[in-house]
Amino acid sequence: MSVATSKPSLLPGMRLSGARHRLLAFTSLVALIVIFSLTAPDFLSTANVIAILQSTSVNGVLAIAATLVIITGGIDLSVGTLMTFCAVIAGVVLTYWGLPLGAGVLAAIAAGAVVGLTSGTCVAKLKIPPFIATLGMMLVLKGLALVISGTRPIYFNDTPDFAEIAQGSLIGMVLPDVPIPNGVLILFLVALVASFILQRTILGRFTFALGSNEEAVRLSGVNTDRWKMAVYALAGGICGIAGLLIASRLNSAQPALGQGYELDAIAAVVIGGTSLSGGRGTIIGTLIGALIMSVLAFGLRLLSVPQEWQFVVTGAIIILAVYIDILRRGRS
Amino acid sequence: MSVLVEMNDIDKAFPGVRALHKARFDLRAGEVHALMGENGAGKSTLMKILSGIYARDGGTIRLQGQPVDITSPARAQALGIGMIHQELSLMPDLTAAQNIYIGREPRKGLGVLLDETRLNAQAAEIFASLHLALDPRTPVERLTIARQQMVEIAKALSHRSRVLIMDEPTAALNAAEVNELFAIIARLKAEGVGIIYISHKMDELKRIADRVTVMRDGATVDTVPAATTSIDTIIAMMVGRTLAREQPGAAPAAAADVVLQVSGLRRGSAIRDVSFTLRRGEILGFAGLMGAGRTEVARAIFGADPVERGEIVLNGRRLTIRRPQDAVRAGIGYLSEDRKQFGLATGMDVRNNVALASLRRFAGIGGLLKESAMRDAALRYIGQLAIRTPSDRQEARLLSGGNQQKVVIAKWLLRDCQVLIFDEPTRGIDVGAKSEIYRLLVDLAREGRAIIMISSELPEILHLSHRIAVMCEGRLTGILPGGASQVEIMRLATQRDANVARDATAANHTSGATA
Amino acid sequence: MLTRRITLGGLGAVTLAGPGAMLARAQDKAYIALISKGFQHQFWQAVKAGADKAAAELGARVTFEGPDSESQVDRQIDMLAAALAKKPAAIGFAALDSQAAIPLLRKAQQAKIPVIAFDSGVDSDIPVATAATNNLAAAALAADKMADLIGGQGKVALLVHDQTSRTGIERRDGFTKRIKSAHAKITIVATEYGGGDHLKSTEITKAILQAHPDLKGMFGANEGSAIGVINGVKELNRKLVVVGYDSGAQQKQAIREGRMAGAITQNPIGIGYKTVDAALKAIKGQPVEKVIDTGFYYYDKTNIDQPEIKAVLYD
Repeated sequence: MSVATSKPSLLPGMRLSGARHRLLAFTSLVALIVIFSLTAPDFLSTANVIAILQSTSVNGVLAIAATLVIITGGIDLSVGTLMTFCAVIAGVVLTYWGLPLGAGVLAAIAAGAVVGLTSGTCVAKLKIPPFIATLGMMLVLKGLALVISGTRPIYFNDTPDFAEIAQGSLIGMVLPDVPIPNGVLILFLVALVASFILQRTILGRFTFALGSNEEAVRLSGVNTDRWKMAVYALAGGICGIAGLLIASRLNSAQPALGQGYELDAIAAVVIGGTSLSGGRGTIIGTLIGALIMSVLAFGLRLLSVPQEWQFVVTGAIIILAVYIDILRRGRS
Repeated sequence: MSVLVEMNDIDKAFPGVRALHKARFDLRAGEVHALMGENGAGKSTLMKILSGIYARDGGTIRLQGQPVDITSPARAQALGIGMIHQELSLMPDLTAAQNIYIGREPRKGLGVLLDETRLNAQAAEIFASLHLALDPRTPVERLTIARQQMVEIAKALSHRSRVLIMDEPTAALNAAEVNELFAIIARLKAEGVGIIYISHKMDELKRIADRVTVMRDGATVDTVPAATTSIDTIIAMMVGRTLAREQPGAAPAAAADVVLQVSGLRRGSAIRDVSFTLRRGEILGFAGLMGAGRTEVARAIFGADPVERGEIVLNGRRLTIRRPQDAVRAGIGYLSEDRKQFGLATGMDVRNNVALASLRRFAGIGGLLKESAMRDAALRYIGQLAIRTPSDRQEARLLSGGNQQKVVIAKWLLRDCQVLIFDEPTRGIDVGAKSEIYRLLVDLAREGRAIIMISSELPEILHLSHRIAVMCEGRLTGILPGGASQVEIMRLATQRDANVARDATAANHTSGATA
Repeated sequence: MLTRRITLGGLGAVTLAGPGAMLARAQDKAYIALISKGFQHQFWQAVKAGADKAAAELGARVTFEGPDSESQVDRQIDMLAAALAKKPAAIGFAALDSQAAIPLLRKAQQAKIPVIAFDSGVDSDIPVATAATNNLAAAALAADKMADLIGGQGKVALLVHDQTSRTGIERRDGFTKRIKSAHAKITIVATEYGGGDHLKSTEITKAILQAHPDLKGMFGANEGSAIGVINGVKELNRKLVVVGYDSGAQQKQAIREGRMAGAITQNPIGIGYKTVDAALKAIKGQPVEKVIDTGFYYYDKTNIDQPEIKAVLYD
């Protein structure tokens, strides 16, 4: 422990237990990769690795948003449909109104932040339990996405650069052999920024404090409502980025999609060791959790495991991952 | 007297901590055996091993001479060992009777239906044996803490326990309730039940204990007869040194500035027209029975709960306090009686808990936190208040009660609060740390801070306060000078409103005037 | 991230060095990956059965996958990406959204992997062939049958699985246009969407029936919608002409018992079979028809047990 005080810690607030859990999640990830690369010959092909990373990008960004809210002791069930809603907003701004790319990007992120702020207000000011507030928001957004889009996908054919957001590859321009799509870069960028906010800024500190003991924070004279709303707004903005990623990847805003994605995001968060009761969690863990889910999905597909069984295996691994975590906690 | 329990050479280690080292303890039938020691001395761990919550790493436990393995709380219950925890473990939505018989409910109709009638009858029987006037059908959440405690005791008794472990059973009880409890203990004793009594209150030990075992640093120091051993000797055994008594220091001059003036504070029947002043450098004690409204007044001043009416003037300026943040901004800090629930973010480290109320001060551009400044502040207070922690990165939940309290004090000192409200500052804190907290309070007052101290321990109030405000049933029944006698305080604390009618008229009158 | 990539690279080197792993691929049969729009529904299972049959008869190895629901466009794209990574000899693909799939289909084209579109097809010139039902014509036949059964006049309603997919749009439009052009005395009072979900479709049907007490007939545009219509009619104890689409055990039984007048069936087994057939031809460089009509039938109580119908119905 004395080491922690004498050495300026790289990630303040990082605790031993968290580090150990990330190690565990990371070990599971490596184990899965080893198993699949030994059994599925194409698993480590560049195409497959890139496909796995690209598939992680949307769920990963959503899971990062969910992580923030879950650390406050809340839950956000609206991340999936909020993503869709933001994608539709981008579609409206770019395709229906014909505004330039930057405007669409800003609009999607802003729409996410505003919706997040609304959810946060329902939770903080109106004292509606997060589960209910965001469940309601999930349905509202699902409906609004269909209404605004006219229940049709909106295509981005008039904004050719839009597809580059997720599909283009800046890395590929430098290293043509590893054309890692920009969507993956954005995922890691979002993770880096979110991790920084969580570990180094006052907003992050209050995110943990709210999840640890909200009443104690309130009685310390902190405007807990405002900080909680800020966390939900930040999470909403990140969902906006996810919306841009998925729309760019599909080159279209698909209004009917989104419901059910929140569960994948939450699964990634939990596998990554963030406590659903709040106060504990890391972005890197969530990132690893999201990667575990994609690696599993792609690996099982490569092995041509029948689809029915893919669900069984994925579900069992989620339960196993959380059980191992409980075992580990029980021991310490 | 036959020996009920023998524990020998008990070892227990947690990751990084050796909690017990060759601890021993024995209990005879029909005795009250007090177990004492500072927090962290290992007495709770030892008792948790006896009641099956923890598994021991080494040593032997014999029950009436037979070696036993107590593998679970259920096993302990089956062996006749019952424990009443300090933190009550009742289900607030269930009735008293349902709580007592949870998992063992009498059945009828081939065991499919619950037999509520028999359930309530059995619970009523136990209450009657305790001379307790309590309807078994009352939901527990509607009972006072003291009553809930009685339900816990009834629950333990319902298991026909031969060994009863009580962890600070009087922490939340008033004098009358304590007497009631002691009468029950005497009755159980007469029936041959062995009682292990954990407490920090010396006067209680003298009243009920037959023998005292003192623990320190995970080991048993000694077992001594209660009657012939002086309190000072016991304390010396606990802390390994003798303690000096703290004096409150000179009372502030009557001319000292009035810092806080509260007038006409009112909320329903909890706070009825409370007015008082607080001077610079003064410790104003708040005495009263449980539920007299002292905590309510504190929370109202702090903005934690809403008030109907009342004026709060700080340094001559009228304050509008709607939320705790208004109070904190004005320089009022509140240290709750329940640190774990209201005072600390227990999962966070000491550094962040110290900074919690002042976090904005440490935030730079873009909300970036200046960790090194936070560390310096935390280390400064760790030194100044002698907080015993391996480092400022230690999680708050791992500290002892006294050190947790110091962390909360540090939080308000860092925030530079002028008025500090301490609600039961020494609850659950062991005797060594208590005197440190007392010294701290006195020092803070000498520095010129104004302090309100709510306490249920009269010696504490009498000892430290410059003036003593006494409350009863939501009213401030009087303010006594520092040297007042216990009798005077108790008289005011039990001064029920003889003229309820007149009070009601006055209230109507007031409301009419303002309406 | 950097470390992780290095880890992946390192593992790759290890695997490549290991000889055992590579032997697993040594198979003579051509591998064809089919990516459908779903997989849990009986319809898709019948397509899969047809594909398996062709694989067994013609000598190929096929895998069959599809997302949980038809809104999950990105999941389907992931499946396509995984399929490409397996380096198949050909790909069969039923696009949920053609545009979204174009980048990956181009990759397939570059890798010289022939793509056969099936079911609703792919909106692009990349596929070498499309094996599909003519939904417009099939739905028009349903409209004609409905008109006959209700006596050429009255109110009818449509329950469609969704408003964004091609089959949903085509079946809705095929039915609606035919009614408008050929059966002027029939009015369509409601067109609702139930996502192909049995329960949701049941609830919507009940709502429609309550709003229109004089409704004479309803058309359920896929298996889930049709079953929803039958359930709703039964729960409200109403009598009206129900025309369905596709088959499945429940729908077949409803027709036998007279609760449903009849239904259009595609030929899902044929779709699967002909997709694999066309894929094998493309692999071998043989000519393939650009549009392969897999056919459809109207079946009712009278012909449900005839061999040619029986062969295309699935449970």
